[in-house]
Amino acid sequence: MAHVVLKDLVKTYGGFKAVNDVSLTVNDGEFVALVGPSGCGKTTTLNLVAGLVPITSGDIVIGDRVVNDLDPKDRDIAMVFQNYALYPQKSVYKNLAFPLQMRKLPRDEIDKKVKEAARVLDMTHLLERKPRELSGGQQQRVALGRALVRDPAVFLMDEPLSNLDAKLRVQMRSELKRFHQDLKATIIYVTHDQLEAVTMADRMAVMNGGYLQQYDSPAQVFAHPVNMFVASFIGSPAMSLIPLEASAANGDTVLTSAEGWSLKLSRLNARKVQRATTKKVVLGARHSTIKLHKSEVSSAIPAKAFTVEPTGDVTFVQAFLSGAIVNISVSPNIAVAPDEQIWLEFDQERMHLFDGETEMALKAD
Amino acid sequence: MSTIAETASRGQTRRRMRVDGWRWAGRIFLVFMLLYTALPMIWMLITSIKSGFAATQFPPQWWPDEPTLASYQKLLDPQNSVGQDFLRFFWNSLFVSTVTTILSVIVAVPAAYAFSRFSFPGRNFLFFAVLLRNMFPAVIFLVPLFILMRVLGLMNTHGSLILTYLTFGLPLAIWLLKGFYDNIPVQLEQAARIDGATRFQAFIMIVMPLSTPGIIATAIYSFIGAWNEYIYAYTFLSKNDQLTLPVGIQRFFSENTTDFPGLMAASFMMSVPVVVLFLILQRYFVRALTEGAVKH
Ligand SMILES: Nc1ncnc2c1ncn2[C@@H]1O[C@H](COP(=O)(O)OP(=O)(O)O)[C@@H](O)[C@H]1O
Ligand SMILES: [Mg+2]
Repeated sequence: MAHVVLKDLVKTYGGFKAVNDVSLTVNDGEFVALVGPSGCGKTTTLNLVAGLVPITSGDIVIGDRVVNDLDPKDRDIAMVFQNYALYPQKSVYKNLAFPLQMRKLPRDEIDKKVKEAARVLDMTHLLERKPRELSGGQQQRVALGRALVRDPAVFLMDEPLSNLDAKLRVQMRSELKRFHQDLKATIIYVTHDQLEAVTMADRMAVMNGGYLQQYDSPAQVFAHPVNMFVASFIGSPAMSLIPLEASAANGDTVLTSAEGWSLKLSRLNARKVQRATTKKVVLGARHSTIKLHKSEVSSAIPAKAFTVEPTGDVTFVQAFLSGAIVNISVSPNIAVAPDEQIWLEFDQERMHLFDGETEMALKAD
Repeated sequence: MSTIAETASRGQTRRRMRVDGWRWAGRIFLVFMLLYTALPMIWMLITSIKSGFAATQFPPQWWPDEPTLASYQKLLDPQNSVGQDFLRFFWNSLFVSTVTTILSVIVAVPAAYAFSRFSFPGRNFLFFAVLLRNMFPAVIFLVPLFILMRVLGLMNTHGSLILTYLTFGLPLAIWLLKGFYDNIPVQLEQAARIDGATRFQAFIMIVMPLSTPGIIATAIYSFIGAWNEYIYAYTFLSKNDQLTLPVGIQRFFSENTTDFPGLMAASFMMSVPVVVLFLILQRYFVRALTEGAVKH
């Protein structure tokens, strides 16, 4: 196993920057998720690490070697592709054996390793089949097995679960996590599904538009998103982002809506707002930090329920404030009807404040 | 109630009748097409086993009274001057077509692969240029190529034909193969390269086996094109011992005007390689055409 360092990594296609100055370190044995919306440069970044596309500038270190100019085969990596990329003309056995054959291992050793991997992944009975004779889940396992047999320094995975059905995906998610814990493997895992990243990764690198936005543990990213993009991308339902205007009144700082209502900020939050470059401030609140009242409460803001979605454990209510969608979760025994008048109370301790111009999170110090 | 049901069922019957009508029209059309293509060939075969006299009788003998393989024996007999000519023409055709096919595959495979996989300056322009050639009828190039071959000193050589057939066959071969490579996911090669293959090994070990049907289809296409070509062979070659079959057989026609069975036997033997190729490789051919066409 080895650590991986990306230093000021840039990849341009023509004039288009697909990957923009990405720097991050993946520790030995760490499970890092690259997460972001489709087209943000995750696959390109992974392919750069793999050596499948040439880098425009920057450095990649795997273990203690700069691998910029090494062929993929010399980087000691294994990769699992979204479409599995199993060799269609080869049996499962030969698919698993291929990386070992290319490394010129003796035949009996290949046989031993292939059978061991097949046993671990519980697919000994599939060894003679061709990939097209397997279900999607089985193909996925073979792809994983082909990465596994070789015992590489780093595993690269590009949305390996996204072609599976929902149930299998959840199951494979925990199996992959288990696999990481057992092998102490260094894994870089690409996904557009923030839930996969949050549930599996030690650290997640959130990307957007080719830029690395934030690189931290899921808990940190969740609790302290650095900007509005990360705030709205991580967490489901998405964090509500309400555009407001800051002003001072009687020594207090208040956020005023174009709709007429205003919200008095706590001292700490007021300090944050004073750091903004503009009067425009965006209030961010996760669904669980907004309290829904069915009657008027001081400091709560009047709104109208728009949609109500019971899911069993919780009921999600959507409302509009200042033109923004606000998601609120309430206990299922609170009955809310669409179009009903409600009052929303924001938790000052757990609210997020963003600069309306730069979209960056506002900090107190 | 019952009337509604009746009307509905009658409507259904009528629709079925209309569908059946079209289907029958289609079948009859296909039968006609089949007869149209097969009958001349059957007649060719029947005539080839008649005696010279029987072949010119009227009304014709539908089935020869005395079927004979004499024409075939004559054509395949190296002792006999007709046989000598025929075998030489056959060999010439085989040589020109085989070399054309081999060269065409050797050039088309890497070209198509490059067009499919790499982006390089002028890629679109070059690909368009490749196809441009196919937008003009072949005869347009007759005179320019004739002059070119004379300048190159290739008149009266098989090389002139091979070169010409390549310029005609390659564009389509490249186009056909490119479609094929486009449908092989690039991730397969990437996986192979990560698994320890060089770029070239990935191509040879993973992509080539998958594109075999496409390559075979391309090869058949080149071979048949070269095998059947007449105009250029007629124009570029004048020495008798160099002629290819299409031109050679035509000579038969003028020199041995009355030998219809001989002519038909020669024609039949000329179509044998093509038919055999198709029978052996039709599976690949169909697969190549459908796989090249359908994205999946
Ligand atoms: N070979 C290429 N040529 C041109 N643009 C590309 C190429 N590969 C990727 N891109 C562009 O780079 C961006 C990032 O792509 P990708 O890394 O595949 O995104 P992701 O995996 O995050 O969905 C996209 O806008 C894509 O269109
Ligand atoms: Mg991707």
